Amino acid sequence: MDNNTFILSKKVINISLIMIAIGLISLAYGYFGGLGAGRIAANILMNTFYFLGIALIGLFFVAVHAIAESGWQVSVQRIGEAMSRFIPVGGILLLALFSLGGLSSLYEWTHTEHLDAILLKKVGYLNVPFFMIRFFIYFAGWIILAWLIRKTSLKLDVDGDKFYFNRLRTVSAIFIVFYAVTSVTSSFDWLMSIDAHWFSTLYGWYVFSSMLASGTAVIIILLYVLKRMGYMTHVNAEHVHDLGKYLFGFSIFWAYLWFSQYMLIWYANIPEETVYFYTRLKYFNTIFFLNLVLNLAVPLLVLMTRNSKRMFAVLLPVSVVVFIGHWIDMYQIVMPGVVGKEAGIGLLEIGLTVGYAGLFILVFFHSLSKAPLVPKNHPYFKESIEYHTNY
Amino acid sequence: MYVSPIREPLIKGNKDYSQVTRDIMAPMAGKPSKYWYMGMALAGAAALMGAWASYETVFNGIGTWGLNKTIGWAWDITNFVWWVGIGHAGTFISAILLLFRQKWRTSINRSAEAMTLIAIACAGFFPLIHMGRLLLGFFIFPYPNTRDLWVNFNSPLLWDVFAITTYFLVSLVFWYVGLIPDIGTVRDKAKNKIRKAIYGFLSFGWTGSARHWSRHETISLVLAGLAAPLVLSVHTIVSFDFATSVIPGWHTTIFPPYFVSGAIFSGFAMVLTLLIVARKALNLEDYITINHIESMNKIIILTGSIVGIAYLTEFFIAWYSGVEYEQYAFFNRAFGPYAWAYWIMMTCNVITPQLFWFKKIRTSLIATFIISIFVNIGMWFERFVIVVTSLHRDYLPSSWSMYKPTLVEVGLYIGTLGLFFTLFLLFIRIFPVIAIAEVKSVLKSSGEHQKHAHHE
Amino acid sequence: MSKFISAYYHDEEDLIKGVRQIRNQGIEPADVRTPFPVHGLDKAMGMKRSRLTRVAFAGGAIGGLIGFFFQAWVFTVAYPINFGGKPFFAVPSFMPVTFEMTVLFAAFSMVIAFFIHNKLGPGAKTIIYDEQVTDDRFQILIEADDLDEPEQQRIEKALKEAGAQGIQLTS
Repeated sequence: MDNNTFILSKKVINISLIMIAIGLISLAYGYFGGLGAGRIAANILMNTFYFLGIALIGLFFVAVHAIAESGWQVSVQRIGEAMSRFIPVGGILLLALFSLGGLSSLYEWTHTEHLDAILLKKVGYLNVPFFMIRFFIYFAGWIILAWLIRKTSLKLDVDGDKFYFNRLRTVSAIFIVFYAVTSVTSSFDWLMSIDAHWFSTLYGWYVFSSMLASGTAVIIILLYVLKRMGYMTHVNAEHVHDLGKYLFGFSIFWAYLWFSQYMLIWYANIPEETVYFYTRLKYFNTIFFLNLVLNLAVPLLVLMTRNSKRMFAVLLPVSVVVFIGHWIDMYQIVMPGVVGKEAGIGLLEIGLTVGYAGLFILVFFHSLSKAPLVPKNHPYFKESIEYHTNY
Repeated sequence: MYVSPIREPLIKGNKDYSQVTRDIMAPMAGKPSKYWYMGMALAGAAALMGAWASYETVFNGIGTWGLNKTIGWAWDITNFVWWVGIGHAGTFISAILLLFRQKWRTSINRSAEAMTLIAIACAGFFPLIHMGRLLLGFFIFPYPNTRDLWVNFNSPLLWDVFAITTYFLVSLVFWYVGLIPDIGTVRDKAKNKIRKAIYGFLSFGWTGSARHWSRHETISLVLAGLAAPLVLSVHTIVSFDFATSVIPGWHTTIFPPYFVSGAIFSGFAMVLTLLIVARKALNLEDYITINHIESMNKIIILTGSIVGIAYLTEFFIAWYSGVEYEQYAFFNRAFGPYAWAYWIMMTCNVITPQLFWFKKIRTSLIATFIISIFVNIGMWFERFVIVVTSLHRDYLPSSWSMYKPTLVEVGLYIGTLGLFFTLFLLFIRIFPVIAIAEVKSVLKSSGEHQKHAHHE
Repeated sequence: MSKFISAYYHDEEDLIKGVRQIRNQGIEPADVRTPFPVHGLDKAMGMKRSRLTRVAFAGGAIGGLIGFFFQAWVFTVAYPINFGGKPFFAVPSFMPVTFEMTVLFAAFSMVIAFFIHNKLGPGAKTIIYDEQVTDDRFQILIEADDLDEPEQQRIEKALKEAGAQGIQLTS
């Protein structure tokens, strides 16, 4: 098989640098244009969380298939591994945000002089020192486990030794357990505490499902780009089909959790819970429902047929729609609580997202060039190549 | 399709197609063993107790139960949710594992689906019997009537009517459609004229025609695609019975996926309990291998851990919310009058499944059997704790009360256990317990001697 | 009563070869019968994709629309009642029943269409030419009514080449 090494071309580097530059310019525009610390901080949080979440899903993809002893994904596994290299970058950006005044712009519970009765009760959890300790625990765990998974995967590719195969399963299992808990608590910490008077037990899983769908969409988009560049020639309609099924299923799963959270709060009509949706329905109405159209209606209707899931011609646009759709989801998660009525989608929002995408692409492709693109000595490699199904 | 040599074979013993037919049809032949008769006698006795308890309930009223204000639901709903939950494993194995191309499901799906149907029947019994005026049970369906009344579409109890009915009917269709080719096999092997005629009728004329097979595969796939969200929706709607309320311990947004995971968790435990015995008794160890048992145990760790994380999330948010009623609800569960039920639940649901992280325990039949029973006990107590502790002490302390079951309620539950095992024992004798055609279709790629096959 | 040339194979790979051989000679088998679905046979026989999936989609769409609009009619026109302050047109409440109706109608319409299309069902009159087909034999049936001797020989030779056993004329 030729083309097993990815070569990081100048073109890719340049494009990503231009995108990053757009991001920085938008940030400067936001700062000097007086858009307010709240809006800037909200955008940085929103984008960092979004791309970090997608990176974690890349790792999750590798881990979950390792413990399920699945074979087909081996051909596309490196994409997930490379995505996970963004995790430490996300950590640095988030640390910078929190250290440079982001905490007080984003979270009202940091204003310890004005805490009302409700926020006072939460002080045991919502205080800056404990918050930051948790921050370091999350990233230490994620980074170490990502590194271990990557290292074991590369060792496994040397000669398919069963020892590393088993170790990959073990490390993947540890990551899954750690991630299951920390994905919930990190979304409580960084997102749910924006609306600190509110709470929802489903919140952590809801955010996770959003990342799962958009992470899958990103894997599809990156696979397409790689194929366009002439790599991944062994990837055929069967692999694409499976990714398409995931996108379809995860989108429905996200919608199911969205509905569960919304309907239960709507039904019981308890004011301290409904206040969350009240703001969103009143001032973010279009965004709120656009969220559903992009993330449920489009994948459900367009990806229903078998063929649609096998062709990039259909799957790619839907993936892009889902990627944008979950960005919209993040927007309606973060903006109402931090910025409120004055929020908008302008140069800052779009430009900064472009910048983050550029950074993500740079880190991704750089990581991809550091290892053989296809784990040819993986015990399931042959299964992954010679596979076709009747359905 | 190519299968990597490091995978364990799914069918042991170097079988060929006709051997598969004979092995799987063997339990249906000849006279039943004495253990089968003993099982039927026990199950029958339990069912009779249920018959007595039903008589008491219908003719002497719900007053023969231990329900009172404020505990309007207790054993009845606990049992309902427990049985529905158990039923979910069958659909999960048939539908979701099919969509994930897990070939190991082929030896367990037939019996798991049968278990689902029987479990749903047992589950459906409880909403019916708890109505009091059972003969007016048809009121729950929307039909034009002279009272100009329709049902309350706002009520999760009504959503349940549609969900359970749909679930039962679709599972029945899915199970039967899959069964038809195997009934054809039984028909063709039958020597007795009456037997041939009966199975001939039940086989719907199945010929094995390739065109029919092709369409059969298509509809099986679509049914799987429909059944997968269906199974999620059913237990979700059951969870809505509680989550749409306003009382602490019930109204919480995590209930839908938490209930679904719990259902799959308990369902797999019941499948394991049944199949560990059945594989030995029916000599099917070459088909339901330790590998299959291990795979099911892995699903138990997964779903059990999800349930555990849900518990942790609920506690945390109860504290985080600052709502004293919510906090008390959880405090009361752990340290109040029903604490004993709570700690049985925690031990059985959180601690025991974690033992499956150890390969030795995962691959031990005895350990699996014991743990599967504990899981089912634990999941019964989970529903009991949720239902009763939230009802017996909610917002107003002056309304707090206690609940104790009566023999009638216990009798109804034992009755459904009897019904379940009676029907399952009958199923073993009447239909092939393993999907014959499906096992044959994976024999070449995943059977034992195929590891050395010269063509694939 | 039609006459058929019937032959069987012991292995599905040989069956597929046999089917291809026959079709290459321009003969369409009347039926091919197997104990389980054989992958690759669809293609070898030139079978088109089933339209049953469209029946399922149509059925589901109808079920969903009926479910949703029936609830809407009941709650807004027939007998609107104020339940806990919820609006009469309570969309979130309508979703569970709508979803269940969609699944129910999709499943049943497709399965009923399957039985009708295949002419299978309780009391269906089908002929089993070889009872071993549901056990371990893979059978090809070719219409023999309009075939003369040399053609029959040709077909039997083609079948044998792929390893067919038990070639006989049946009705």
